[in-house]
Amino acid sequence: MTSSIAMQSKPSSVEMKQSRTPYLAAFILLAIVGATLPLWVTGNPFLLMLASHAVIAAIVALSLDLLTGNTGLLSFGHAAWYGFGAYLAGLLSKNFSAEMVLIIPLTIVAACLVAAVVGAILVRQIGKTFAILTLALSQIFYALVFVLSDQTGGEDGLQGIPMATLFGNTVASSQAWYWLLYGVLIISLGGALYLRTTPLGRAWLAIRENTERASFIGVNTGALKLIAYVFSAGLASLAGALFVLFNGAVSPDVLHWFESGKILMYVVLGGVGTIVGPVFGAALFTFLEHYVSSYTDAWLIYFGGLFVLIVIVAPGGLFGIGRSIYARFKTGKGQTT
Amino acid sequence: MTLEIHGLSRRFGGLKAVNDVTTTIADKSIHSIIGPNGAGKTTLFNLITGALAPDEGKVAFNGNDITGWTPERLAHAGIARTFQRTSIFKELPVIENVALAVRSRRGLNRSMFCSMAQEKAIREESREILARVGLNGKENIRAGSLAHGFQRALDIAIGLALEPKIMLMDEPLAGMSRGDRETVATLITRLREELGVAIVVVEHDVGMVMRLSDRITVMQHGKVIAEGPPSVIREDEAVKNAYLHGNFAA
Repeated sequence: MTSSIAMQSKPSSVEMKQSRTPYLAAFILLAIVGATLPLWVTGNPFLLMLASHAVIAAIVALSLDLLTGNTGLLSFGHAAWYGFGAYLAGLLSKNFSAEMVLIIPLTIVAACLVAAVVGAILVRQIGKTFAILTLALSQIFYALVFVLSDQTGGEDGLQGIPMATLFGNTVASSQAWYWLLYGVLIISLGGALYLRTTPLGRAWLAIRENTERASFIGVNTGALKLIAYVFSAGLASLAGALFVLFNGAVSPDVLHWFESGKILMYVVLGGVGTIVGPVFGAALFTFLEHYVSSYTDAWLIYFGGLFVLIVIVAPGGLFGIGRSIYARFKTGKGQTT
Repeated sequence: MTLEIHGLSRRFGGLKAVNDVTTTIADKSIHSIIGPNGAGKTTLFNLITGALAPDEGKVAFNGNDITGWTPERLAHAGIARTFQRTSIFKELPVIENVALAVRSRRGLNRSMFCSMAQEKAIREESREILARVGLNGKENIRAGSLAHGFQRALDIAIGLALEPKIMLMDEPLAGMSRGDRETVATLITRLREELGVAIVVVEHDVGMVMRLSDRITVMQHGKVIAEGPPSVIREDEAVKNAYLHGNFAA
């Protein structure tokens, strides 16, 4: 039965590197530095706060990579779901309960439901149309904050959010907050890496690679894109909810297109589709943003330049650079002895 | 297994690209559709495979009306296709290209869990399919870096992984070297013999079509102008007129 027919072409020798070592190394480095951070910045509470913001940014970046990195759908309005989570969790904690175990799941479920309805329309579009529609969606959410300003506080933002509790205990110390946020990041990261190994995650990559072919092997591309969109929105809303509870207030800025642009930059900076890369991208961006903007008001010019440079020189982002350095190091070591 | 095409039509503006086409693809046959450029072959192909919806007519598979089914539904029903321009997942390893189709056939596309044993079985099956088309030993190469002929073979392997009852191939020999054409032609005959897959081929290489096919449908201006076994088609006056340039010698 199994007859092999030799092709009359030269055999290709480009073996595909399936090494997981760079992923693993990056993951472990991140885990160790991240988890021990509160211990070596005890004298500098501001740094810990900045790190907490970086962790939240990392969760949002991860959520966008779930969509863009897996299915190739480019969202220019991802802040919509981040802001949605922030405002909804903020309103819930003011009007309903400050218990995280209640309001965070509620927020995620609500975001997923709305995303499923909106996404059912969005994922039928491809390329530019999808990107523009996501931008439009985030602008609608942005406008809604002002329309409902008696609830949301409009331009002043949503203020006076009570201290959040976790299983009845008030979470007040900045160390506790940091570890909580960090724990959520690690679990989300683990989940995203796990998804990549499942049949669903692999079918997503098929869609990213060649949507037409994917549908002709029986992949329901619309349904799978929608699943990615809903997961992505859910995780972004979780990041938003954590942000508002941590920060104690939220302003409409989180829904502004500029925020969406930043989230996209985290992902591109780190490396689209690499899962771990955007997490680093977000962390690096958050720290750079703070320090560079304290030197110069024109920090956006430098960031714009960096962004252009990354897209042209290193389209694989930081993660791509890291991987090629690793590969060069490895082959170099193999050859010269 | 039969695929019946009845009165199929599709208009593009004022042009009837496919005009009232009726034909039957018999079980385990190699059935070619030929015709000069613009005869409507590819449109007919797209109507059958769900890439386009017909204006009129119907397509039935084993007696079930499959007109207007989506490509993914057709794939699960046992109708696979390959593409004129080789369509594979270039950035993924060769074996993953086939494994994707195997998982899809097993209904795992939305699965968020897959045991090690199951994944191992999927890879084993994918390896066997790759061996069948001559891609053994190339499992871990990036699909996009395969030579052209191998990419075409991979395209066919992806289709085979769906365990189709019928496979539609859009110009499987287009743009290939003479040697590769022979290899793919041999592959097509073997697939029919070993797996019992019915194969529908749209092809320009008339010589190869004459050698391979059990039955040939000749189209011109969207219509069927002749149908029959190669020996009949070779002598058909209408067909000879359609191919004025005399490149019709087998």
